[in-house]
Amino acid sequence: MQIYGPGELLDDVLQTGLCISCGACVHLCPYFATWRGKTAMMFSCDRKQGRCHAFCPKTEVDLDQLSSKANNADYTGAPMGAYQQVFMARAGDKSGGGDFQDGGTVSALVRFALETGRIDAAVLTGRNGLMPSPGLVTHSGEVAAFAGSKYTAAPTLVSLNDGIKQGYGRMGVVGTPCQMTAVAQMRSNPMQDSDFSDPVALTIGLFCTWALDARGLLAFMEKRAPEEEILKIRIPPPPAGILVLETQSRTIEIPLDDIRSLVPEGCRVCPDMTAEWADVSVGAMEGEDGWNTLVVRSEKGLKLAEDAASAGYIVLADFPETSLSHLNTAAAAKKKRAFDRACSQGLVNTEKGGRAVLRVNKQALEKMISEPGGIHE
Amino acid sequence: MSELIEGKPGQRYLLMGNQAIARGALEAGVSVAAGYPGTPSSEIIENLAKVADEANMYVEWSSNEKVAAEVAAAASFAGLRSLCVMKQNGVNVASDFLLHLVGGGTRGGMVIVPCDDPGALSSINEGESRHFARMLEIPLLEPGDFQEAKDMVKWAFELSEQIGNLVMLRSVTRLSHASGSVKLGALPENRPRARFRHGGFVLDPQEGAVTSAPVAYKHVLQQEKLEKAESLFEDCPFNTYTGPENPELLVITSSACNLYCREAIEILGVSDRAGLLKLGTTWPLPKKLIRTHLENCSKVLVVEEVIPFLEENLKVLAAELAMEIGPRTIFAKRDKTIPSVGEMNPDYVIAALVKIFDLSYEAAPADYVEKAGLCVMAGAPGRDLTFCPGCPHRASYWTLHNVLALDNRDGFICGDIGCYSLGMRETGYYALKTMHAMGSGTGLASGFGKLDQFGMDQPIVAVSGDSTFFHSVIPALVNAVHYNADITLVVFDNSGTAMTGFQPHPGLEVDAMGHDAPSIDIESVCRAVGAQTTVCDPFDMELTRDILLEKITGKNGVQVLIFKQSCALSPEKKGKPRYEMHLDENICIGENCGCNKLCTRVFKCPGLNWDEKNQHARIDEVICAGCGVCASVCPTGAITKKERA
Amino acid sequence: MTAAANLLSDPFNLVITGVGGQGNVLASRVLGSMLTQKGYSVTIGETFGASQRGGSVMSHLRISSKGTWSPQIPKGRAHVVVSLEPTEALRVLYEYGNPDVYVLCNTRPVHSIAVISGQFKYPEQDELRQWIRDLSAKAWFLEATGAAMAMGNAIFANIMMIGALSAADILPVDKDTFKDAVSNMMAADKVSVNCDAFARGADMLLAEGISGA
Ligand SMILES: Cc1cc2nc3c(=O)[nH]c(=O)nc-3n(C[C@H](O)[C@H](O)[C@H](O)COP(=O)(O)OP(=O)(O)OC[C@H]3O[C@@H](n4cnc5c(N)ncnc54)[C@H](O)[C@@H]3O)c2cc1C
Ligand code: SF4
Ligand code: SF4
Ligand code: SF4
Ligand code: SF4
Repeated sequence: MQIYGPGELLDDVLQTGLCISCGACVHLCPYFATWRGKTAMMFSCDRKQGRCHAFCPKTEVDLDQLSSKANNADYTGAPMGAYQQVFMARAGDKSGGGDFQDGGTVSALVRFALETGRIDAAVLTGRNGLMPSPGLVTHSGEVAAFAGSKYTAAPTLVSLNDGIKQGYGRMGVVGTPCQMTAVAQMRSNPMQDSDFSDPVALTIGLFCTWALDARGLLAFMEKRAPEEEILKIRIPPPPAGILVLETQSRTIEIPLDDIRSLVPEGCRVCPDMTAEWADVSVGAMEGEDGWNTLVVRSEKGLKLAEDAASAGYIVLADFPETSLSHLNTAAAAKKKRAFDRACSQGLVNTEKGGRAVLRVNKQALEKMISEPGGIHE
Repeated sequence: MSELIEGKPGQRYLLMGNQAIARGALEAGVSVAAGYPGTPSSEIIENLAKVADEANMYVEWSSNEKVAAEVAAAASFAGLRSLCVMKQNGVNVASDFLLHLVGGGTRGGMVIVPCDDPGALSSINEGESRHFARMLEIPLLEPGDFQEAKDMVKWAFELSEQIGNLVMLRSVTRLSHASGSVKLGALPENRPRARFRHGGFVLDPQEGAVTSAPVAYKHVLQQEKLEKAESLFEDCPFNTYTGPENPELLVITSSACNLYCREAIEILGVSDRAGLLKLGTTWPLPKKLIRTHLENCSKVLVVEEVIPFLEENLKVLAAELAMEIGPRTIFAKRDKTIPSVGEMNPDYVIAALVKIFDLSYEAAPADYVEKAGLCVMAGAPGRDLTFCPGCPHRASYWTLHNVLALDNRDGFICGDIGCYSLGMRETGYYALKTMHAMGSGTGLASGFGKLDQFGMDQPIVAVSGDSTFFHSVIPALVNAVHYNADITLVVFDNSGTAMTGFQPHPGLEVDAMGHDAPSIDIESVCRAVGAQTTVCDPFDMELTRDILLEKITGKNGVQVLIFKQSCALSPEKKGKPRYEMHLDENICIGENCGCNKLCTRVFKCPGLNWDEKNQHARIDEVICAGCGVCASVCPTGAITKKERA
Repeated sequence: MTAAANLLSDPFNLVITGVGGQGNVLASRVLGSMLTQKGYSVTIGETFGASQRGGSVMSHLRISSKGTWSPQIPKGRAHVVVSLEPTEALRVLYEYGNPDVYVLCNTRPVHSIAVISGQFKYPEQDELRQWIRDLSAKAWFLEATGAAMAMGNAIFANIMMIGALSAADILPVDKDTFKDAVSNMMAADKVSVNCDAFARGADMLLAEGISGA
């Protein structure tokens, strides 16, 4: 991993449209701020190296370094990353219920972690109209209010940075794969600050194929439905190919093709569908409404899932083999798309002082770009 | 200054050029004086206003220069002597009225004093007023020193009454804002009673209606007045010549350049070779006088500032005379003997004379200049102008800049004229992107605000000072509201015309003479024309930011935000810091990631300093004005403020 | 009014320089009135626009028994430079200095935003003094701002420098002339403290030694 400063971040990420507005750089310092779903640099900060650049998931991401930190091994290029087990899961009776996106596994796990003291605060993402609005939650009763996916890029990690300032030391973070990447980089103390202590105790990743630009979506919706009437946004699993908007009075279906132009460039070079750097990753469950896919990666994640299940917060079930195959195919396809695009733009393993978006060993790279349909482990 | 009215006739006093002009007006028995503040003209009205009660005058700061000219003209129509004063740009504003005025003529003596600013020392253009005299077809006088600045005013009033028209007396920065020794004259005892006579024959210049129509008839009259002025100029005491009878070179000049020429001739010791014709009357040129001097020499050097006004007028005369007296070589601006822009100084004249006479001259030994140059390069860091410590504009621009950055749609600010024009520079975070005439910021914004039809999606902000608001923003604001332009106008209401030294304006409860006056509330005006208006304190940066963010987001028509916080130099604030500031060196993280000297490197209030040795910021207690703003800027809480008792 | 005594040169050219807000204009007015009282013809040229806004501010005084002179001193022709800020002295010397010039310099730096923001480094005191000495026939360095702050307000540094000038035996002015001049210009309650500042400045110069450094 090579660390540069905010100048390079501006040149390489903010001004190229790669910024996914994750919020990792925001509130680290007064130079970065977020407003209406976009990250802005207020003034230039002359530092040659900064945390902003080091944490950013859209520049100089070294997959091998992340992998060796998480799994003690080089990155393999496996479609779903390294994991221990995959389950079908949903919220259990003790979860308190809520207007969940799918099975409510995420909300239930967060509640459980808070109630059992595994974490002292949770970084979640709510919304304000169509604008995503991150928040820091310390009581399990507040979790349900954040349920439901906001299909827009969200500055979730602002709340993580705020939480650190407020002194929380064992936070749980729920976020998309890019956000998980940023969190993983942050936790590795890349600037080698002497007084660093890891403020994160749990990471729950969300599956993600792409997100939409928040301002773009707002402008798109302006003509279709009043912002304040929107109750929920759903993207049914393929092959539906639509985005479903539930409002107080009706349900609107929008072909995904109509909104594809609202997908930011940052998503198009993102190789991670299943949040590979999280303790657990959660997605929708193909063909089973009301259930989630739960990928357990770390020991901590496994223990959390098991304890939450035995405490009745979640329900676990076996994951069907065909679904796993579909999942792998989709994840591999995302990798190939991302690396093809990034390679064609000269953004991978750039040499001679050139700055890259992604760095990864040759073998894994070969594998990822040569497996068009994605192949099972 | 008390000597302005208490000074003893016959005694010499050290007066600023503007004071000399004011004293001249008093000696001329002027009854009404009106102007709009603008460097370098402001002290004329200011000084007259101070003594207005004692001198039984009426003096006002008008809402703009056109109104000032109208106010002064009314007095003239009523038979009183009146003066109107403005900086060069003000003449542009007044010119519409003036062009009508001069067609109809004046009654009581009326003199307009524009103070030009060659070199644009405190202006954003070098435009000048002399050509207005030609366009308006009125006489132009230019004092050549401080004594003349006073004496000529009286002469100008007499001339105005002799010809029945407006007279222009033009000053420049180096006279207006310089001081010299002036021998005072007597002050008159009485002033005429004001009465506007309008019942006589319609074309009667003293008893009829006043207007420039019928144009053909009045225009002839007007030109006759100018011809009369020219003939009076032939033996005007302010046209002087010093030098040999048949000089090798005739130097013709006027205004402050007179002093530069005199000194250059003296320094080079060429007074036996060069004669100096100093003209006090530069439009129309006194033809006979010029002819006499041209006859005695073959080479002429014209020394003047900015446009080649004297040069061109002289060349016309020379061409007319060429058949009779033969051609003359004229060195001036057009042949680059004299620089074509910027102000003059003795050294430019020295250079011109050195070239024409083929002399050599060294101002200081070359090795000295070289050494000094190296020292300056190494040791005298540039001093860009900054907002004062505690200035509300710094906080305002900080917020404006940050809001536009946050908004992230490449928004911009259309600027205007005042202290806050510095928003174009480092001290204002380069936030201003256009700057033109008074009120133009809002006018431009109004235009930009209609370009969404052509795909423009940048937020548009205009800024205006409080005084500028009354001067010329209101019509632009009305326009923007009427055409529903999507713009935000930010009015920096710092309670006075700060740039030029706190002259009151119609928004205040006091007038130029210090009398109580009804104030016009900017907020009510904005609401009345239909703009959504909010008032806030720019020192409350968080609230201001939030309001501004909301105003520039979305399509809301004209939004006005009034930033209310008085100027750091205002009498009620100066020397009275509100907060005691403290900077905790242990909390300050200085150059580290997370700040990197935001306060000194970026915010840049002069009250802050960077302690290189100890690697933390410091508050400079000599300079800090205790406004408390930096406490909101520091991201770590190292800077704290405590209300002073 | 006394008749004008002889000047070291006629016109005698003096520059008072400093930074906006340091009271430069007042200092030149006070000195101008003092010399006018002494029967001299004084011409003062000022740059105003920057006077309150942190820019370099300069006043040119032309003192003469012959009449009015250009409000701008010709290049290289200053006889004395009174500088309220050390780097400003350099700037003035570059334009108006010559090997025979005298300099009275307040040593307290005023950092420009270029320095505050770190784009330029402010020179070291020793270096500055050496440069100024190299560029002058005589130079005095006074910590006037410090002394003024000890009196309660940094602004008195300007008057202290005029006091110092009066003690340097260059111009025929003294504390009585000063008192007369300020009595006409200032509110009565300000006169005595300004007289103190003036006297303090004169003492400081005498402590440095009349022959300068
Ligand atoms: C932008 C986006 C794209 C997605 N794409 C896919 C996909 O292609 N395939 C798939 O299987 N699943 C996808 N998901 C995940 C899916 O929508 C559900 O979030 C997941 O199944 C968990 O469901 P749940 O019922 O447990 O969530 P809930 O219990 O309802 O909790 C949802 C959690 O998500 C967090 N959240 C909501 N929006 C965001 C956001 N924009 N950024 C960060 N965190 C957020 C909230 O904090 C909340 O805690 C996506 C999610 C997002 C946000
Ligand atoms: S280097 Fe540090 S202080 Fe500078 S912009 Fe990045 S995070 Fe902020
Ligand atoms: S992707 Fe995230 S960390 Fe990178 S610039 Fe954008 S908001 Fe900042
Ligand atoms: S902004 Fe605060 S932390 Fe940063 S340098 Fe200034 S005082 Fe120190
Ligand atoms: S309080 Fe801070 S911002 Fe205000 S004048 Fe002092 S140093 Fe400057």
